Amino acid sequence: MTVRSRVCGSVLVIVGTALVAAACASSEMMKVGSGDPVADRQRLMKNVGANWADIQAKAKANNFEAIAVNADTLALNAMHVPALFPKGSLTDKSKAKPEIWQKWDEFVKVAKNLETQSEKLRDTARAKKNDEVQAMLKDFGRNVCGACHTPFRVPPPQRS
Amino acid sequence: MSASRTLLVFLAGLVLGSAVPSGAQPRDPAARGKYIFAAAGGCGCHTEKDRVDRGLNAGGRRYDGPFGTVYATNITPDPETGIGKWTDEQVITAIRSGRRPNGERLLPVHPYPTFNGMAEEDLRTLVAYLRSVKPVKRANTPKRISVPLFESVFLPAWLAYFAARETPPPTAPVSGLARGEYLARAVGHCGECHTPRTVTMSLDNSRLFAGNPKSRGPEGSAVPNITPDRDTGLGGWTEEQIVDYMATGNKPDGDVAGGLMGEVIQGTSAGYKDLTRADLTAIARYLKSIPPVKNRIGE
Repeated sequence: MTVRSRVCGSVLVIVGTALVAAACASSEMMKVGSGDPVADRQRLMKNVGANWADIQAKAKANNFEAIAVNADTLALNAMHVPALFPKGSLTDKSKAKPEIWQKWDEFVKVAKNLETQSEKLRDTARAKKNDEVQAMLKDFGRNVCGACHTPFRVPPPQRS
Repeated sequence: MSASRTLLVFLAGLVLGSAVPSGAQPRDPAARGKYIFAAAGGCGCHTEKDRVDRGLNAGGRRYDGPFGTVYATNITPDPETGIGKWTDEQVITAIRSGRRPNGERLLPVHPYPTFNGMAEEDLRTLVAYLRSVKPVKRANTPKRISVPLFESVFLPAWLAYFAARETPPPTAPVSGLARGEYLARAVGHCGECHTPRTVTMSLDNSRLFAGNPKSRGPEGSAVPNITPDRDTGLGGWTEEQIVDYMATGNKPDGDVAGGLMGEVIQGTSAGYKDLTRADLTAIARYLKSIPPVKNRIGE
């Protein structure tokens, strides 16, 4: 075997190894959450609700700038929503309605709206535009959360 | 004007001003009627979902029941397909008594026994508002009744023996618990969803607002117990939380109203969210005042 062919072979081995390593790493990165999309999305929505409750408490205390961190969390959570509703995940154990998959484009659109409106709320809070934050909060629940809950979710069981 | 006369006029204004209703209303009848429309949840039954912009009050929404299927009617002022040619009295008769101008009886999917509890002046302003919205030409879809003799025998008997009719007040209460009761029981017709239904599907007002399971709720939805029971109702909510919920859809735990309640809070051209804080407070105080009923509404 010539020197040249040995070098080429070594390069090929190194490149091939790097490619395999990258593929393994990306498949690990793509496996987000527990693997149970229903459990994961229920946990995510609880987190969204907790952040929204926190936003309202801060607004009542006139602590508008502090809302930014919660709004940012809402935006990050919103990014994951479509992926947590894969086809075939309709189940009696969740409140998701079949309309999600029947009107998928609309569902994705309202999830994206949660993301963009949350980012807007975050940026407005960071800019200390308190009056604008208050105005946004007034309709946020109904228009942003409700835009999904009304058509796509069976109302949850009552909690006292 | 002398100083003493000025003071007298000022004091008279204070006294008269205190008699202004807790939900101070605009002067224009149609504008006042829109407020009543909001208090009724925007009459969303008469507008197809996602058609508020194109078909407000134009009917078409489908309701399935043990009797068959009915479709909400066009209540826009269109003269051919709506209520444009009806007199005010005829519209009011349909709302509170369930009779069309031709004598035909409405099915109480339109809750006329409950709407009978509305005051005359509120009904008149409501009609003024209905006449002010854009007329939409949309022919009513005929109902399909699957039970023989339903309209001629069973419905009149049900209305006579099982349907409790709310009593209208001489004038609409303007403040206090009376105002809250009036808005919750009659105009808001909360009991139509939130009061348990018996096996005959009539309202069991002995357990007022105690909720319905999925099998008895509207459109197959379970409906919460909103009595002040601490374990199964709203006993753990403050008055302010109830008010906030009706004004915004926000629940104390961070959840947001959806489903049918989300629809009536949002309304169509107006909804519960458009009620004054004073009126929402009156409703919340009333809900806190009624007997608590233990009735857990679960899955």
